[in-house]
Amino acid sequence: MDNRGLVNLELSNLLLAFALILFAMALSRFQRLGQARKIGWAALRMVVQLLAIGYLLHLVFSVKTPLLVTSILVVMAGFSLQVAGSQAKRKMPGFYRVMGSSILAGCGGVTFFFCALVVGYSPWYEPRYLIPLFGMILGNSMQGASLAAERLEAEIGERREEIETALCLGATPRQAVETALRNAFSAALIPTLNTMAAMGIVSLPGMMTGQILSGTEPAVAVRYQIAIMCAVSGGVAATAFLLLMQGYRRYFTPAQQLRR
Amino acid sequence: MTGMAEIVPPNGQPMVQVEGVGLTRADGQGREAVILSEVTFSAAKGRITAIVGPSGGGKSSLIRLINRLDDPTTGCILLGGEDIAGMDPLLLRRRVAMVLQRPFMFPGTLLHNLQRPLAYRREAMPDAGSVEVRRTLELARLAPDLLERDARSLSIGQQQRASLARAVITSPPVLLLDEPTSALDRPTGDQLAAALQDICRHQGMAVILVTHDLRLAGKIADDLIYLEAGRIREAGPAAHVLAEPASAELIRFLAEPEKGGKHG
Repeated sequence: MDNRGLVNLELSNLLLAFALILFAMALSRFQRLGQARKIGWAALRMVVQLLAIGYLLHLVFSVKTPLLVTSILVVMAGFSLQVAGSQAKRKMPGFYRVMGSSILAGCGGVTFFFCALVVGYSPWYEPRYLIPLFGMILGNSMQGASLAAERLEAEIGERREEIETALCLGATPRQAVETALRNAFSAALIPTLNTMAAMGIVSLPGMMTGQILSGTEPAVAVRYQIAIMCAVSGGVAATAFLLLMQGYRRYFTPAQQLRR
Repeated sequence: MTGMAEIVPPNGQPMVQVEGVGLTRADGQGREAVILSEVTFSAAKGRITAIVGPSGGGKSSLIRLINRLDDPTTGCILLGGEDIAGMDPLLLRRRVAMVLQRPFMFPGTLLHNLQRPLAYRREAMPDAGSVEVRRTLELARLAPDLLERDARSLSIGQQQRASLARAVITSPPVLLLDEPTSALDRPTGDQLAAALQDICRHQGMAVILVTHDLRLAGKIADDLIYLEAGRIREAGPAAHVLAEPASAELIRFLAEPEKGGKHG
């Protein structure tokens, strides 16, 4: 790798980097700012966690059976579902089922399209590509879908009068919640749209920076970043859409009555 | 017009029949609260039926059952002789329009609000100059120059009449109204009452009106039902019931000064 100008970090280089932590600790100690112990602990935790994930990824990347790779993806999705569930203050009815199926179909579909057709590596389950790409799509989609679910819950709670007025005028449930759906979908997309708008000006995306540091041509890294942002937007939109289309129905009875 | 099939009840039956309806609801502490019990009455075409009674007596809960915003616990409701529980709720609500207590105006102009029921039905939307819009505005006593105004900037009285106009623009055979004059002062309330009477007569609608306002009921109702604590205490032609109340409950209710004393 170092033939392309990549500087490999040796253990000695790392120790030197740690001198900066010691400097920060010393500074806060002698200036009596009282953060020395916290800095030390945080640095130690970071080292342990990153070493652990490094070994874990090493292990995961050596997996070469499609079934095993797929089950790792499912476990990742399960974890993110659990995080989303624990963060939601008020959950829509049937939260886990609606969220889980939207994630599975939305993220799964977009990831498959992206990996198989856009990046086009083979075999399709190569974990070195599939896992980080799925992770990026999953993380963003989960965030978007959570925002959509939370917003839908709030909108329907606030708009009972509007929704029942529409039902009384002969609207279908879908027509009656139109504004709520639109606002919830927009809430899901805003973080992704903001990220895209700021990209390259306010922030250099982490993935691109990482690729450049590890020796990739900036032009190539930029192309990757563009592709990834497209995949993330697609994933967020698909997942939030599926969530909303299943979700709003949960607020109505089979007789098209708004539930109490 | 909207091509709505006219409903002809068989054998001269009333348009709406409410039969032995009861409603219980969990009160949040694990107990069942009885909202309505054994409510039976009917409403005929071209007549205004007023449901009168003290607040909390179950009036609003009752009319919400007629277009299935809620379902009764027992009993049944017939529209044109057919049980509404077996109907497509969407088709039911397109025949049984309802005006809720607080007028809700959708964002946009008054015209947009009037067009909405047709948009829901995916039917051609009438423009400001169309016969339907003109006729509906006239019946609801709204000036045509209000059409391009933001509906939310209209006065509360105009909004009440606008929501009445919006509900009847598709000429539904049945119209339900929940306390249509509660937010109005007397002259504005009278305007709405006159509008309602016109619409009922012109379009041959069966109108069911919930109100605690005896003056309004006395003025426009053909039939009157007195509902207290979830039961019908008295029913009959409005003029007769109000002139010669028979039940102790209605006599007490009529005597309460805050109800506006005697009917007008």
